[in-house]
Amino acid sequence: MRLGRALLLWGAALALLPLLLTACGGGDRLLLGATTSLQDTGILDELVRGFEKESGRDVTYVVAGSDQVLELARRGEVDVLITHSPDAEQQLVAAGEVIDRRPVMENQFLVAGPPDDRSGVKGAQTAAQAFQRIANSRHAFVSRGDGSGTNKRELVIWQKAGIDPQGQPWYQESATGQGQNLLIASDKGAYTLVDSATFQVFRDRVQLIDYVVDQEAPNLYSVMRVNPDKHTGVHDEAARAFADFVTSPQGQQLIQQFGRDKYGESIFLPASVGVSAGSPTPNR
Amino acid sequence: MELIWDGIREAFRLIFTGNGEVYQITFLSLMVSSLATGIALVIGLSIATFLAFKAPPGRTLALSFLNSGMALPPVVVGLVVAVLLWRTGPLGSLHLLYSPAAIVIAQAVIATPVVTALSAAALQSLHPKLRLQVLALGASRWQAAWLLFREARLALLAAVMAGFGAAISEVGATIMVGGNIKGSTRTLTSGTVLKVSQGDFEGAMALSFILLALIYAVTLVLTVAQQRRPSS
Repeated sequence: MRLGRALLLWGAALALLPLLLTACGGGDRLLLGATTSLQDTGILDELVRGFEKESGRDVTYVVAGSDQVLELARRGEVDVLITHSPDAEQQLVAAGEVIDRRPVMENQFLVAGPPDDRSGVKGAQTAAQAFQRIANSRHAFVSRGDGSGTNKRELVIWQKAGIDPQGQPWYQESATGQGQNLLIASDKGAYTLVDSATFQVFRDRVQLIDYVVDQEAPNLYSVMRVNPDKHTGVHDEAARAFADFVTSPQGQQLIQQFGRDKYGESIFLPASVGVSAGSPTPNR
Repeated sequence: MELIWDGIREAFRLIFTGNGEVYQITFLSLMVSSLATGIALVIGLSIATFLAFKAPPGRTLALSFLNSGMALPPVVVGLVVAVLLWRTGPLGSLHLLYSPAAIVIAQAVIATPVVTALSAAALQSLHPKLRLQVLALGASRWQAAWLLFREARLALLAAVMAGFGAAISEVGATIMVGGNIKGSTRTLTSGTVLKVSQGDFEGAMALSFILLALIYAVTLVLTVAQQRRPSS
């Protein structure tokens, strides 16, 4: 009777497939869009865990460069998002696709390069000046090239420097996440722009030195909700709860504490303006 | 070189100190890829049997599609499955995106052509008269199929191993449709990618060794089943 049993199993397997798939499906959960620097530094898991513990809700997240996350938000494919691309964010807010944009945390952009500083960027007054020196010496520069927040900022700095690096032989686009990009720049002995948190995490693993701080604009992360009036199926209540959590004194405390045990200092600074007294003040 | 030894040491440390997260992602990888292989086997063997024994018109064309399907780029599969499972996509109401189920679907799509094409080749390589002879001896169609599966056991189990290998070693589609979420959709392959992007090469190496060990363990079981003498 082995044949009969085998056939029965076969039929059962076919019938059970859709059931099985639905059973291990994610269900209808809050979907967060976040950027690679948040994942590479490890703060994303920390924030999500904090929120899940606090609210009892489950969070699903998708990690990509800011451009991709913003595009997913525009299509209503996420509920809430944290990105660091202020200009592109404001455009989306103006278009009414996302609402309720609130600052969450910030750090700085750094111009990092090889230890021998072949372009002599050390001592440059601004990031733009550093970029000019790199371009003048035609030394290798590795760009994210992926429409991420860091990439956007980098392009702004090139513009300020009055240089169009596109197509230059010394200008390379890695199209990778923040951490990977740093590793590539290190391996090539090239200069790059990096956020201070990721640089701190990777400091021991790369042959790069942070020479210049981009003083003109902070690397600002903001939380936004997808406009529930424009997209059906958005989990607006949960999205609001998440945005409230990361900007709450508790969430801001978590951001302030993150990385202290490992790096001896905060790698993200709380930036919420709505934080009440008794909570860590944003020390800019 | 040192990194490889550190990776092996780290792998043993993670396995034997009972690191919950590593157990969880190893178990998830095994479950997801086994399920995907199971789906690929059910669908693939059905199609292969039909193509091999019924010899429908257009069989060569169908087989050529299946054979090229063995090289189906995972990133394309990931993209298409993701778009189909988007909230605004045709299957969005199932809420499967960024869940283990989405990874099962993507891996099944990748493994199915592999299992189908290799199974069809296995069944076609049987002596063409064998099926006629079995039928002539009074076997029903189902009994004949069962006997022929047993006859082609070696090659069919090789097809299953190839399908499982394609599924568990996949990473591009897995991240695209799964999202690499801690405690939910992080597998050994996507976990390795994350460790690399976080610059934790030892951890990445450790996960890689655990993945290799898992693949070997599963393949060993299948190989033993393959090499066993038939009971009758």
